[in-house]
Amino acid sequence: MTMVQSLLTRADAVLREGSPAVEAPHASWRSRLAVLIVFGATYGAVMGSYGDPPGGRPLQMAYSATKVPLMLAASFAVGLPAFFALNTFFGLRDDFPRVVAALVATQAGLTVILASLAPITAFVYASGIDYRPAILFNGLMFATASVAAQAILRRSYRGLILANPRHRHLLRTWLVLYVFVGVQMGWLLRPFIGDPGRPTQFFREGGWSNAYVVVIEMVWGVVVGPSPRAGG
Amino acid sequence: MSIVEVGRGKREGWRSGFRDLDQILRGDRTRPSTLQEGELPIEVPRVTRAIVLLCVAYGLCMGVYALFAERGPEPRQVLACMVKVPLLFYLTLLVTLPSLYVFNTLVGSRLTPRSVVRLLTATLGVNVAVLASMGPIVAFFSACTTSYPFMVLLNVAVFAASGFLAQMFLLQTLQRLSTGPEIAGTPVDPSLEAPPAVRPATDVFPDRHVRTLFRVWLVLFGLVGSQMGWVLRPFIGNPDVPFAWFRPRSSNFFEAVFGALRSLFS
Repeated sequence: MTMVQSLLTRADAVLREGSPAVEAPHASWRSRLAVLIVFGATYGAVMGSYGDPPGGRPLQMAYSATKVPLMLAASFAVGLPAFFALNTFFGLRDDFPRVVAALVATQAGLTVILASLAPITAFVYASGIDYRPAILFNGLMFATASVAAQAILRRSYRGLILANPRHRHLLRTWLVLYVFVGVQMGWLLRPFIGDPGRPTQFFREGGWSNAYVVVIEMVWGVVVGPSPRAGG
Repeated sequence: MSIVEVGRGKREGWRSGFRDLDQILRGDRTRPSTLQEGELPIEVPRVTRAIVLLCVAYGLCMGVYALFAERGPEPRQVLACMVKVPLLFYLTLLVTLPSLYVFNTLVGSRLTPRSVVRLLTATLGVNVAVLASMGPIVAFFSACTTSYPFMVLLNVAVFAASGFLAQMFLLQTLQRLSTGPEIAGTPVDPSLEAPPAVRPATDVFPDRHVRTLFRVWLVLFGLVGSQMGWVLRPFIGNPDVPFAWFRPRSSNFFEAVFGALRSLFS
């Protein structure tokens, strides 16, 4: 019970990160990481509970619970070296620990927001939504959480931008970089929900492909008709 | 005992190369006060070692695509990539440096050959450091992408982005080098004392011809570098074509990029 309380306190601290309130607590690195893992896994487990009855595939739930924090952490780790070099290059190296703290806090906050949306996802699953709309619905939940997490990011970054406006441009660059890697990471780690008609798998068979190429082929197929590669 | 000391000395040499590069990236070596002698205070051989190592690291990331090829891993392609990336940069420099020096002298620049070499080494360092920092992204996409045109375009984009940042650094440092000796007798503006490696460009530039020359040279470097990349190909290794250290001389880089774009959208 005390562990749950402690986690909720840490989550609260993450959500208030950068708040101008005097009594606003400051989350430690360990807190942020713990929140990222636990709350990310919580939403992942709910995400993987799709089926009839909901939660009938515990293995898929365990896979999804692993994948959500993994996707966020791996996208972050892959993009970070380039962001570090850019910060150094534009003379913002001394602020980098604060920059990373702001980004990690935002990621942790994103998982808390996602976890808060988990009951809605569970309810929608329980009400008998089809597989494809369920994918779209989860996309909507991620989009909602990402937009809401911008509040933490903006608060955490306010001081940095005031000290040096170049941080604003670097932040935009980071978002582009992170989304570019994150989209592919999400594609690679699919399925997150898992089609109940197919066997439960950690990785989709033939999933070792590129999300952008698939999208280009789909769009191009719609525009000029199916190509031999896309059709095959 | 002496072998141990030599080993320690070599390690220290490598470390100091990276330390120099780090200071170049942070802008510590391009402060107006440090440029008053009219040249960058760096040790070219030391920085060059770090540059070569970073090139090799990026070559490794680039070569990951060949390790995950459908026809089985091709370690020779990885090796080729690790050798070819440093070659690409240094051969391009070798081809373009003489013309830069001659034209630089013709327009009456105050830069000596030594300061030109130092400036270009620092610029190459910035280029390669940014390139290597994007290595993990390239390696990640290489590992999970089967589309060859996508990988070609991603690598071209990464090279272009790092090249763009390097040219910003070059022009900025050139401006500081040109103004440095003139402000030697005047107090330095405190806001300029710790500037980043780059700062938004201004119109204040006394040596306009030198700046124009370097701009033209940058375009030339880009063009020669692109074609050098084409001559040294394959870097990524087309999975439909058997491994070769070099391909026959045909076509050119720009035709190939256009072909990759067309193939990605068809």
